Amino acid sequence: MVQNHHGTVGENKGKRPKFFINDHVDILIEILKRLDCRSLCVAASVCRLWCTIARNDSLWENLCFRHVSPPPSSVRSVVLALGGYKRLYMGCVRPVRSRLGRVRRASWARDEVQLSLSLFCVDYYERLGGGSNSNGRLVGESSPSSLMFLCKPMNV
Amino acid sequence: MVLYDSSTLAGSISGSSSSSSKPPPFPLQREQQQDIDGHLAGAGYKVRSSELRKVAQRLERLETAMVNSPADLSQLASDTIHYNPSDLASWVDSLLSEFALNPTCPYEFVTDPVTNRTVVNDSWTTTATNMPLVHQDVSYEEQSLNNKLPIVTAMEEDSGIRLVHMLMTCAECVQCGDFTLATSFLEDMQGLLTQINTVCGIGKVAGHFIDALSRRIFQGIGGGSIDGGSAFENEILYHHFYEACPYLKFAHFTANQAILEAFVGHECVHVVDFNLMHGLQWPALIQALALRPGGPPLLRLTGIGPPSPDGRDSLREIGLRLAELARSVNVRFAFRGVAASRLEDVKPWMLQVNPKESVAVNSIMQLHRLLGSGPNRNSPIETVLSWIRSLNPKIMTVVEQEANHNQPGFLDRFTEALHYYSTMFDSLEACSVQPDKALAEIYIQREITNVVSCEGSARVERHEPLAKWRTRLSGAGFRPLHLGSNAYKQASMLLTLFSAEGYSVEENDGCLTLGWHNRPLIAASAWQAVPDAPAEFPAPDTHRPS
Repeated sequence: MVQNHHGTVGENKGKRPKFFINDHVDILIEILKRLDCRSLCVAASVCRLWCTIARNDSLWENLCFRHVSPPPSSVRSVVLALGGYKRLYMGCVRPVRSRLGRVRRASWARDEVQLSLSLFCVDYYERLGGGSNSNGRLVGESSPSSLMFLCKPMNV
Repeated sequence: MVLYDSSTLAGSISGSSSSSSKPPPFPLQREQQQDIDGHLAGAGYKVRSSELRKVAQRLERLETAMVNSPADLSQLASDTIHYNPSDLASWVDSLLSEFALNPTCPYEFVTDPVTNRTVVNDSWTTTATNMPLVHQDVSYEEQSLNNKLPIVTAMEEDSGIRLVHMLMTCAECVQCGDFTLATSFLEDMQGLLTQINTVCGIGKVAGHFIDALSRRIFQGIGGGSIDGGSAFENEILYHHFYEACPYLKFAHFTANQAILEAFVGHECVHVVDFNLMHGLQWPALIQALALRPGGPPLLRLTGIGPPSPDGRDSLREIGLRLAELARSVNVRFAFRGVAASRLEDVKPWMLQVNPKESVAVNSIMQLHRLLGSGPNRNSPIETVLSWIRSLNPKIMTVVEQEANHNQPGFLDRFTEALHYYSTMFDSLEACSVQPDKALAEIYIQREITNVVSCEGSARVERHEPLAKWRTRLSGAGFRPLHLGSNAYKQASMLLTLFSAEGYSVEENDGCLTLGWHNRPLIAASAWQAVPDAPAEFPAPDTHRPS
């Protein structure tokens, strides 16, 4: 740990050890839970501990359901089976939210997540079929992903 | 001076025999004679009919230039050398070149026909080589035009309009059986195609229609049969069409929502899919059933599809994939594949419907294929609808193209198809994902070829509009189910995700239609079988219990 580092630096204040966030992982998690996507990604490059925590799916679960009332517990098992919350967020929820942001209506928050889930499921299904379809592509490269339309820049 | 409106000119003059700009009915004299326009000749001007449009446009430019810089008019009067004004074309050009020397003329943004980039045409302000060279020997052939004059965009638009009119005239000839004339039109159109942009817009659609017409003329009806493409190819094209534009996604999501709502409270459900393809519709339904309050039901899926050649059982492979997905999300799932090359070959016993389960029938653009009637059989739509009804489905979701491509008259069908597919290609422009877009276009092109060049049992793309389906289904013992606000909300959200702004969802008396710029292109509806009134007690009124 880095703690002993501080002991060698001459502190005039006294011998009381400084607070170091990495010692208090539970507080760290609470803080990281409240970050937005970009900050979370930045946080993941701070140090190995933060990287491990940021990869934890439950943080991304929070991001997905941030503005929505907590979903039933069955959702978690489904999402985990389909690839996890981070993938759901990065692949579906984030682009859906940013696209719909222009015409966002308050009542749509829950439906956004549901739509994202459906699209996520179709994407999972297509990824399942990657192996068997690879010899069938007329073009030869990557199989079409139904989420690609979410990646394209918007025409304003 | 009469300024010819380009659209009226293109629709052209059938009255005067010497002044029409479309080829005369007798296949002579087009290339040899210089057909001087009769109307203007009477006024003392010699203009070739083939150049009328160009001259008209240049006159308009001259007028704009004169209006914009009235100070230079006096200069025109004194310093210029004018050519013989009865040769109207060169006279206008000489005037225009006078204005070209003035730096006051506005810049032109034109599309350079060679490189297809939008360039600023500053030929008005420089004496660059692409200025109209009127003091040299001017030739007004079509190819030199593209190099010299800066009105290319207007010219292209104009050629586009001419092309459309020629397409209609050619179709009319085909309907009348005048194949010689139709062939000559085909040649003209192919020539015209070389001058306009066939990468996008009217040029591209026109190209497909010209191909389809040539197939019809040269290979005869039925020669363009679409079954020439293998089922495997069809599936790939369908998949790319699914990716490129929202029509199929809209169909799937709307149908799924309706099925989901119909299955509320049921524990054993059975979905019959009339065209399984890659099964892209079903993952979302499986996931929604997995998450529904009360837990997922037992889901059975029966997928109908064409038999696959060379031993591969593609239906079973899709079933396995779906089963794996269902297993991941803990939904009890069973799949059955029914291989049939035509939907009318399917018999209800093949579906093995259990009387205790709730059935949903899902038909995405399949029912219209049953509308063709041969000389020795009635159209199979009635048989199929009656056995669907005998299954007593909780819901039947029907998605069909919103177009009238099943009219008996060829010209009407052709016109309708031209408008429909132009709109569809327009909407596809917004998609930038390659190779989806190119393959999606091939998919649409196959439909066009079938609608235009096939007849009889070979013509399977017999689209009918929603109103006709309503009548037909109501007559077959079904009543409509309203799709509801959740479906509408979901469809609107789905569309907002697509990057193009032109899509619109509309509600049409309980059905949803998706269109491009208010032209509906695909319609989704839901139906339920009306239970028969008890036969022993004929009711005094014919009102059926719901």
